[in-house]
Order: sequence, then C-alpha cells, then structure tokens
Amino acid sequence: MAEDILLGDDFLRQLMSVGEVDLLVAIPTYNNAGTVAQAIQAIEDSYQQNFVRDRVVILNVDGGSTDHTTETILNMNGRKAGAHRGITSLRTVHRVTTQYGRNPSQGMALRTVLAAADLLRARSCAIVSPTTILDSSWIASLLRPAYRQDFAFVAPLYTRTKFQGLLARNLLYPMSRAVFGLRIREMYSDEWGFSGRLATQCLDQNLWGDEAVRARPEAWMAVTAICSGMKCCQSFLGPKAPPPAGSGPDIVETIRQTVGNLFWCFETFQDHWMDRTGTEAVPTFGSDHELTPEDAPASQEKSFELFRTGVKQLDDILSSILRPDTLSLIRKIAGVEAGKFRFESELWVRTLYEFAASYRRTVIARDHILQALVPLYRGQLYSFLQEHRASSLEEMEADSEALCLEFERQKPYLIERWKAKN
Amino acid sequence: MALQDDTLWYKDAVIYQLHVRTFCDSDGNGIGDFRGLTNKLDYLQELGINAIWLLPFYPSPLRDDGYDISDYTSVNPTYGTTDDFKTFLAAAHSRRIRVITELVLNHTSDQHPWFQEARGSRENPKRDWYVWSDTDNKYQGVRIIFLDTEMSNWAWDPISKSYYWHRFFSHQPDLNFDNPAVREAMWDVMKFWCDIGVDGFRLDAVPYLVEREGTSCENLPETHGVIRELRKRLDSAYPGKMLLAEANQWPADVRDYFGNADEFHMAFHFPLMPRMFMAVKLEDRKPIIEILEQTPQIPESCQWCIFLRNHDELTLEMVTDIERDYMYDAFANDKAMRINLGIRRRLAPMMENDRRRIELLNGLLLSMPGTPIIYYGDEIGMGDNIYLGDRNGVRTPMQWNGGWNAGFSSADPERLYSPLISNPVYGYQSINVDSQRRSEHSLLSWTKSVIQTRNSFRVFSRGSIEFLSPSNHRVLAYVRQLGEEKVLVVNNLSSSAQAVELNLQSYKGHIPIEMFGRNLFPRIGDLPYLLTLAPYQFFWFRLRRI
Repeated sequence: MAEDILLGDDFLRQLMSVGEVDLLVAIPTYNNAGTVAQAIQAIEDSYQQNFVRDRVVILNVDGGSTDHTTETILNMNGRKAGAHRGITSLRTVHRVTTQYGRNPSQGMALRTVLAAADLLRARSCAIVSPTTILDSSWIASLLRPAYRQDFAFVAPLYTRTKFQGLLARNLLYPMSRAVFGLRIREMYSDEWGFSGRLATQCLDQNLWGDEAVRARPEAWMAVTAICSGMKCCQSFLGPKAPPPAGSGPDIVETIRQTVGNLFWCFETFQDHWMDRTGTEAVPTFGSDHELTPEDAPASQEKSFELFRTGVKQLDDILSSILRPDTLSLIRKIAGVEAGKFRFESELWVRTLYEFAASYRRTVIARDHILQALVPLYRGQLYSFLQEHRASSLEEMEADSEALCLEFERQKPYLIERWKAKN
Repeated sequence: MALQDDTLWYKDAVIYQLHVRTFCDSDGNGIGDFRGLTNKLDYLQELGINAIWLLPFYPSPLRDDGYDISDYTSVNPTYGTTDDFKTFLAAAHSRRIRVITELVLNHTSDQHPWFQEARGSRENPKRDWYVWSDTDNKYQGVRIIFLDTEMSNWAWDPISKSYYWHRFFSHQPDLNFDNPAVREAMWDVMKFWCDIGVDGFRLDAVPYLVEREGTSCENLPETHGVIRELRKRLDSAYPGKMLLAEANQWPADVRDYFGNADEFHMAFHFPLMPRMFMAVKLEDRKPIIEILEQTPQIPESCQWCIFLRNHDELTLEMVTDIERDYMYDAFANDKAMRINLGIRRRLAPMMENDRRRIELLNGLLLSMPGTPIIYYGDEIGMGDNIYLGDRNGVRTPMQWNGGWNAGFSSADPERLYSPLISNPVYGYQSINVDSQRRSEHSLLSWTKSVIQTRNSFRVFSRGSIEFLSPSNHRVLAYVRQLGEEKVLVVNNLSSSAQAVELNLQSYKGHIPIEMFGRNLFPRIGDLPYLLTLAPYQFFWFRLRRI
C-alpha cells in the first residue's frame, strides 16, 4: 500500500487518535509561519459555525519549514466561541501536523493528504493555501458539495478583477473545457474540494513519480474525476486577492507547471476524451464567477517585443513543433507593427493544439516545447490586452466564450494531430 | 460507626431514587405503599445502595406527581400512614440505608389550607403567605419554566380577584419567603420530619424562593439568605442531616448554593448529565471535559450529586441550542419523546438497549466525582412508555417478576395506577428483578458488582480528579486520588475498538490492577502506557506501588 511507506509512525499515531472523520481540511505549508495562523483559524471557525456535529480534522502537511510553521500551528489555542453558550463544535476539532519531506512538493503534500483521508475514511476534503486570505465560509463551500451531495471534485470560483487570471481565461479554461467536455473554470487553483472516494482513487494510481502530478496535482484530480464519470461542480468563494508581486512563480515556470500538466493530462487520459463531443456546464453553488472592473495594466509593449524576439530566436524549435503553415502565419504576425498586431483566436487555438500534439510525440524535449510556448503566449496576451483595454466586462466575457467555442470547433483538428505520426 | 456519627455520609452515598407509589403495592389497591416498600428493602440492601431518595408522598391532589403538596406533615393515605412511614424508616436504618425526603419549599398546592385561607379574603393573616398582585405586570421578563402548559407566571384568582405568582403550574402558587411566618412554618415542617428520623431533604425548586422587581427572580441573594437561615437551624438542632439542592442552573450559579459550607451540603450537577449522553453519542470526551472545566471548586464538606436519569424529563435547559437540537435528534426523534425542554425517556431505551452503553454510562456515573443517584428500575434496564401523559412514561410500576402485574401488585391490572411496560423488549416478562437475580451476567448482577466496587474504595466518593489528555479524543481517562489511594479510570466512548496511549509518568512504578477481575497489568514505566479498549469498554484500575 502506498501509505505504508508514506506515513511515519508519529503521523500514524496522530491519525489513530483522530479516528474516522467526516471532514478533512488540509493545509500544505512551507515556511508560512507568518500567515498560517489566520488560515487555521478560518478553518476552525468554519468547523465551529457550519459543522458543529461532525467529526472533523485539520491536517497540516509541511515540506520542511525552517521558520517554525508547524510549531505555530501546534501552539495555537482553539477559540472557544462564547464558551458554553455560543456556537461551538460539539466534538473535538482535531489538529494534526506532519512533515512529508525536507523539500516542498505539491505532489508529495497531496499524496500525504490523500493517504490520511483514506485512512481516516474522510467523506469530504478540501485543500487550502496558507497564503490565501481565507474566509471561513470558503471552507464550507468547498466541503459541502462532496459531503451533502455526491460530488467528487469541487472547483472554486472567485470574484476576479478584469485582468486577473488571464492564463486561465485564454488557455487553461477554454482548452481543458474543449478537450474534457466540462466547463470548469478554475481547474488550477490553490483551493479545491474532493470526496473521500476520489481521494482513494487518486491515491491508488501509480502516477506519483510523474513531474506533472508532483507540480500541479489539483487538475489531475479534476480530470481523474471527470474521466471516471464522477460528478464535478464549482463553488463560488468570493474575491481572492492576487499574490503580492514577485511572490509567485514567473510566467515560464507557471506555463511549465500548468500547461505542462494539462498536456500531460491529455496524454494520460487520451482514451477518455477522444470521443467526447461538445461541453457541459457543471453545477455551480453560489454565484457564477464574477468580474469586477480594473484599470488596464500599463503598456505591454515589452510583451510584444519578447514575442517577436522569441519567434525569431526559436524558429528552429518552433518549426519542429508547429505545422509549416501555422508557423508561417505566426512569423507573419510577428512582423507587423505593435499597433496593428492581432493574434486571432483561430490561429491561437491551432497553435496550442499543435503544441499539445508535439508534446505527446515528444518531438523535442518536453520542457523545451513548453518554454517555446512562452513567447507565443506573451504575444497572445498582448493582443488580448490591446483588444480589451477599453471593452466592457460583458464584451470581454463574450469574447472569451467565443474563444472557448473556437477551441471546441477545432477539437477534431487536435484529434487529427494527436493521432498523426508526425 | 453508628449512622448518626458519620456526618459526611452523603459524600459516600449511592442514592436510589424512587416514588413509593411505583415500587410495591402491599394492599392490592394498585398503588405502591410504604409497607410494600419496606418489604423490598432487602432488595435495595442487596443492590448495595445506602440511601433512598423518596419522591413526595404527602397528601396532594396529584396534579404534579405529588409536588403540589396540600399537607406537609402527614402521609398521603394512599401510600399508608405516618406509622407505616416510621416503620419503613426504622427498617431502612437497620440496614444502614438512609432516607432523604422531598421538601417542596417554593410552592404549595392551591388546595393547601394555607392557600385556601389566603385567597379567602385580602385581610386573612395567611394572605401574605403567597405572592399577590392586582396586575400581571410585575416581574416582567421572568422566564416561564413549563413552556408547554403555562403562558404566564401570574394566574388570576377569581375568588380574591387578584393575580398570584407561580413559577411552575398555575395550581402551584409560590409561597412568599419574605414573610417570616412562612419561613417559620417551613422550619416547623423540617423539624417534624427530622424528629421522625429522616436523614436529609431534597429541596425542590430552590432558585425561585424570592422575587424582586427588575431581576430574573432566580438565585437572588435573599433566596440564599433563606437557605442559610434554615441550614443554621438544622445544623444546630439536628447535626448530620443533609440538604440537597435542586437548582437546575449552570455550575457557576449553583456554586453559590454551597455558600461557605453554610447553605446546601449537596446540589445536583444538572449540566453534566446531558453531556454524558452527548459524549457517548458523539464518541468524543469534549462535552464532559468542557462542563467539568467550568465547574468551580466547592467547599470540602460539600458534594455534587450526579445522575443519569430521574423522574423528570432529561432536562435540556443547561445546554446550548445546538446541543439541544443534537440531543433531540440523537435521543428523541419521535416528538412524543419530548416534553418541555427535555426528553422523557429512560436510560435503557435511550441507549437502544445496548448493554455496553448502559454499562459505560453507569461506569461514568459511579466513577466521576459526586454522589451518584440511580433511578429505580434503571438497574434492570426498565423501559418507558412515551404514550403516557406528562412524564408518567418513566414512572411505571417496578418490574419484580414475570408474573401477575410484574409482582408489583395483586390488584386487577386495570386498577394499577399506571399500565405496566408490556412490550416484548422491555416488558416485565423480559425485564424483571427475579429473572436477573438468577443470572450472574444480568444487568442487575453487574450493577450490584460495580456498586460494591465503588463502595469498597472511598476514593470514588471523596477523591480528587485529574483528567488525562490522551490524543485519542474518543477516550476519557482520569485518575481519582485520595491520599495514597489512586484509581485510574479509562473509558472508550466509541462504538469501535480504540488504542490509547496514556501519559502516566506521575505514576511511574505503579502496577495497575483491574478492579473487577483483580488482574495485574504491566507496571507503568517511562513510555506512554498503551491500552486497547473494545467498543464502549471501560477499565477501573487501582494503582498500587508494590
């Protein structure tokens, strides 16, 4: 069994003490002593307010913090809301902490969480980030669909500002929606929920050594649920503050992790999506996603320059990834002046599908393929921002929906390229 | 030691609560009586209890099960005579069983001569023995206790054309304890029964004795003054007699009723009771630990009284709304099981007749700090009848055997004061004293054994308690200690087997000796002490340093 080698004796001892639970919320950490307390408190508050009768546990999986993150958690006193006359959980709110290794790894963290969920027979689980400013209602929104209903995967929905989450808007969402046939907007997120059944199923899969799973396991869980015929849904959480500038991975690393993971999912689950046509909406709890106005970012001329430079410098690599006619069109638009530049949806979709197919065939090292996508994404981003700098939220939404439909329209082309020998 | 020499007897008592009407009928009229009860004292002695708490047996219109008293100084003829009571008392004392009676201070029946005089005219000397008003606007905001039946704490008296105050049923007018004559009359009542030889009084509805505008009319300083006055006179005239308070309040509020050991000797710990049920249902020690953490220290000579079930509903006044909802869902999903703010069920049916859970709860009752009270019939696992009115479903005849009327009475069954429990699970043919006496593995035999064990070790009744904090929250563990006597109690509150590691460093070198089988367990060393417990299992270990 996977957990036999995964879980240390002390962790097992803690789990034994907890026993069977209804709900598990996990919080992976790595040097988060400064923020983890507020996250733990939000989880505990949610338990106290929404799940007073239920058997619950807060699980911290730590990647080798050196800033006393786990000590901070262990030293927190439970809030006794209103003592005996206030709203408070009838049962003990358990807190368990463990260190899964000396280096942080999303995959190892998740694997540890899944093993604990499996052993504790948790019915509904959620994972939250220690850096997100959590509202206690978020926890309930992530847990309830799997607990009260029969949903296996719960994706979050946030209130986004107009120009927030553009990689998801222009690539991850429309592409995953077209391929897997479900309209899940935030498949890549720091917060998500899942059922105990899905946890067990994922735990039992022998894919934990794969880099794509280790880096961004949440989308893999979602796709596992979709391809296993389990029910997925979305829960609206509310506004999510963007991470402080410079605190997250750069665009290259982000694309490597997310798009790399998505392409890997295409390959791993290819037997499940080839014959799937059309897309379905998934049940959504709370509001649908919300957009709020935002001033357009400052000039993105640099993005355009990086696009042009990239197309020129990576010509050899791009020629091994893209079909000649596609590359020719890209070279052509890279030659126009910035003010007239436009990366049309049709070309963007075709480009991405050819990248996915090349990734599958490993025409060159996969990491190089993903890196070669970066300048093209910069070009598409520049085009998008130019086009929507002054457009209304509704216009932008309509355009995004049109992009999704373009991905769906060209899906046969993806399948054709996917099956092609070269 | 002679009974009267042991002035702290109540601390070591195991009290058996019964209503004389329910226990045994000696004259075949379908109603239990003192002669019948006297005949059953051998059974109670055999059970191991050493005090009986008698529910009201005074003359009464019986509109509130005898708590509506119409004469404080005689015995309801239905139950016998005062001489019958004296005979019973002597027989109990000869078996070293003490007797505690009810003293309903707060109110009388509206049929009591005092009230009849008081309502007769506004000039009557007894008029001021009760609380009257020309309007029903006084004491606004004071809570109504019997929500299911009463709309107001004031009732209109058509005879004297004014309102009288009542905290309970409208046929139970509250006495006016601001009147010295009332306090004197109540002292006379106490003297009457003390002279006969009763060992203590359970004072009913204590918090409500005095009323003051702008207050909740509960737990007022003047009420404490009344209690202190009675206690002083009692200690002076009848040393060794005990006062037990019925104050359904939070522990911090009840604490005041112990005063400086100059008010009550004992008081019920009402909030603990529902939390014991809750802890077993939730499979988590949190409810018990939380309420005991909120329980203040009490004077050395005082003691809490703890219980699982009694003649009233399982009261849910001292729980939060969330806890009350949970208790209803867990134990009273049929609305007929609920009354007022509580649950009218007996122990065994609440535990779904699960012997393991019944034993666990009794194990908790008998091992936690306080004097335990066992409600009649619970020692054999009697059932209830939720379809009888009020709380009569838990007041059915005692089931002595499987024969005519369960051995309770020779009357025609139709004449019994209450129908017997007769369903196939809890009926007297299945659940009765005689059949359980024949089996050493019956609940009755087990109860005798556990009471005997408790009675053998004073640490249970007088010892301190230290809760252990094993990480497994399904396990409730504590150490009771009195001098060198130490007992470790470990309870598995869960329906599944549990492993628990106990930090017993303070007891390193001691050998745990399981108290029922007297088996030795491994000596306590440096490592956490590992125990495994079957579902709902509990251990009592004597810790000995040998």
